[in-house]
Amino acid sequence: MALLSLPLTASALGTLVFAVGRVEHPAFALQGLQFDFPAGGRARLSIARLRVVDRHWRNVRLDCAHGSLDGATVRCEGGVLRLAGLPHPLQISFQLDLAARAGTLGIAMPDGARLNARLLTDGSVQATVTGFDLGVLPAWLPRLKAWSPGGRFDGELKWHPTRMFELKGRLAGGAFGSEDGLRAAEKVALDVRVDAALKSDRWEWTAELGWRDGATYLHPFFIEAGPSLRAHGQVQQGVLDIREASVTLEGVEQLAASALLNLHTGQFDRVAVALAGADLAVVGPRWLAPIMAPAAGGRLRFAGRVSGALEFEHGRLRLLDAVFDEAGFSLVGGDGGPGLAFGPLSGYVPWRDGLPTRGALRVGGGRWQKLALGAFDLGVDIDDRRIRFDRLRIPLLDGALVFDGLVLDGGDTDTDWTGKGSLVIEPLSMHLLTEALDLPSMSGVLSGSIPGLRASPGEVVFDGTTVVSVFDGYLRATGLRVLEPFGVGSHLTADIEAHHLDLAQLTETFSFGSITGFVDADVRGLELVRWRPTGFDAKVSSSEGRYPRRISQRAVQNISSLGGPGAIAAIQRSLLGFFDTFGYREIGLGCVLKAGVCEMSGIDGNAEAERFVIVSGGGIPALDVIGYNRRVDWRELVERLQRVIAGNAAAEVR
Amino acid sequence: MKLAPLICAVLLSASLSVAAQGNLEVDSPAIGALKQSMHQRHSQLAPLYQSGAVGLAGDGTVALHSAGSVPLAQRGQVNALIAAENADRRALYREIARANGHPEWESDVRNTFAQRWVQRAQSGWWVQQGGGWVQK
Repeated sequence: MALLSLPLTASALGTLVFAVGRVEHPAFALQGLQFDFPAGGRARLSIARLRVVDRHWRNVRLDCAHGSLDGATVRCEGGVLRLAGLPHPLQISFQLDLAARAGTLGIAMPDGARLNARLLTDGSVQATVTGFDLGVLPAWLPRLKAWSPGGRFDGELKWHPTRMFELKGRLAGGAFGSEDGLRAAEKVALDVRVDAALKSDRWEWTAELGWRDGATYLHPFFIEAGPSLRAHGQVQQGVLDIREASVTLEGVEQLAASALLNLHTGQFDRVAVALAGADLAVVGPRWLAPIMAPAAGGRLRFAGRVSGALEFEHGRLRLLDAVFDEAGFSLVGGDGGPGLAFGPLSGYVPWRDGLPTRGALRVGGGRWQKLALGAFDLGVDIDDRRIRFDRLRIPLLDGALVFDGLVLDGGDTDTDWTGKGSLVIEPLSMHLLTEALDLPSMSGVLSGSIPGLRASPGEVVFDGTTVVSVFDGYLRATGLRVLEPFGVGSHLTADIEAHHLDLAQLTETFSFGSITGFVDADVRGLELVRWRPTGFDAKVSSSEGRYPRRISQRAVQNISSLGGPGAIAAIQRSLLGFFDTFGYREIGLGCVLKAGVCEMSGIDGNAEAERFVIVSGGGIPALDVIGYNRRVDWRELVERLQRVIAGNAAAEVR
Repeated sequence: MKLAPLICAVLLSASLSVAAQGNLEVDSPAIGALKQSMHQRHSQLAPLYQSGAVGLAGDGTVALHSAGSVPLAQRGQVNALIAAENADRRALYREIARANGHPEWESDVRNTFAQRWVQRAQSGWWVQQGGGWVQK
């Protein structure tokens, strides 16, 4: 502190005037001080220029109810100081021994806050702050106005003449909020300790923060009290350099950070974060879900551990390293079903802004819906927002899904990503597949070749063919598209052809009675919403060729029950009771499903006629099954079919 | 040389007029499921529109306008609500374009819906117009 004194003068009227040229301190400066001691015990302090931190005032005046100059000691009691920008005047009392350079200062605010300071002869300052309202800070630091700070601070400040200071205290009821509400805190209780020392042209500091109460929202994260921080660094030329900050955070073994904060702009020029041993079950829902999939946050599950590093420059991500240790990720289905899951998963994924990197993961297994996926290795080349996968073979039952040339391109925004590649389904046993899906057991094999696999927001296209050899014939699915795969509007479209399916096996599998013979099927425009058909144009008809064609009494009853009342010509009904099986010439059934209604047709396909033949009799004994209701509610039809398969309802024959 | 811009303009107007003929009221099971999902969510969003916490963005989505009126602990949930609503809205625009047989109309559908949402916004709601927020 430098004190430049000017001589005392006394006017002929008895007024004592005492002037000081300049008082300077790193935190404040006063210039052109003048004490006036008019008669009557009052005093007035005029300051031509006053600076506190970076706030400046001119022509400031302090009026003291009682003032005196006793030797070299100046006293002011009951002083009132009005400063532009402060809503209320400050109550000030001080006593200053100019010779000893020692004294006391008391400042009281109307809201009860107090500052008591002692200037000691060795040049050190000790101050206590009680109930300081952070709400007044914007008056001193206008940049804080947009943050609406609040809360009360109690603390102690010790200033040493060697240019060191210690600050410790506690914030209670701390709060702030940005105008858009994306960054805010409430009811924060914080223990603070800061030690700093001026070394040549920079402040070196250490700090400890203990967050005891309250919560904050830093979009998109909601964080509650608990974390604590120890940090050290320096301040130089308007830049706060946090060299190392060690943070204790629930679920994380070690978390360290460093950063450069530009005090002029209030922006971080650089931030680096490193963490080790983070428990994904804890940090996943809090820190990953809000970024990765905020809409599905409630359906995401995490397990295992992750370590890694992040680096930002001027708010832009420059580096990311993630090391997974027995990690697990799962997404519960939108309908509450089993959804998709992978894990345990271990390996390393790096990313660099503008540089290619390579990652490798070992995935112990997974699950898609009811299907368990085997272990596989995942190698990826990452280049900015583009990920190229090595040949990826995911075991599934006794076969595998093999992806080749799979590339995901993140695009320019989050909503224009694309993916492409090819998929081969190595033969899967239908016996195992139907068992896994809780379907009636079928023999046969499923395989597929999808050379054109394409994905974009809301759509996955499987341009190729999937073949299922089943019931001694085969099914072939083409044009498979999955639309809005992760949303409530998820649906699937495909065209399916079936050739030469053995009806004996088919009817036995689904407990539909017994039919010998073979059928072909053609299903165009099949649409499934949540695995339930909502649209198709389907036709089932007897296959060409010579083969035994018999239909059991039970199958006739079942078909007739599907066809609705009156499906058997009245004259033939009596035959049913006498024979177990009947000969037939042809079977044909069509359904165009649209808007919940199945428009049915029979062998002739004539949609105009009122009646349609489903089973055309042939041989001895023979009978026809005829449908009379062309328009059937699809839901009702499915319920009938389920009852027939379950065998819970006897077919109605009239 | 002068023909090129003219052709572009004609093609553009043709494509717009084609899009204009699309049926925005088209229905499908997926569209029905999306509308139902959005309808169910609306009871949660309506008070947020009214308080100004959430507004209708100019691109047919919803966006956080001023979260200050939302209790701190619920701001993350509001963010999740907005993300879920926008996922449904984007899917709805794609589905309507698909159901019209023209997936490429998605942006036209989205723009038309964006105008509809703004027009139908209730008094007091915040809507984005010309890049800025306006209270209806």
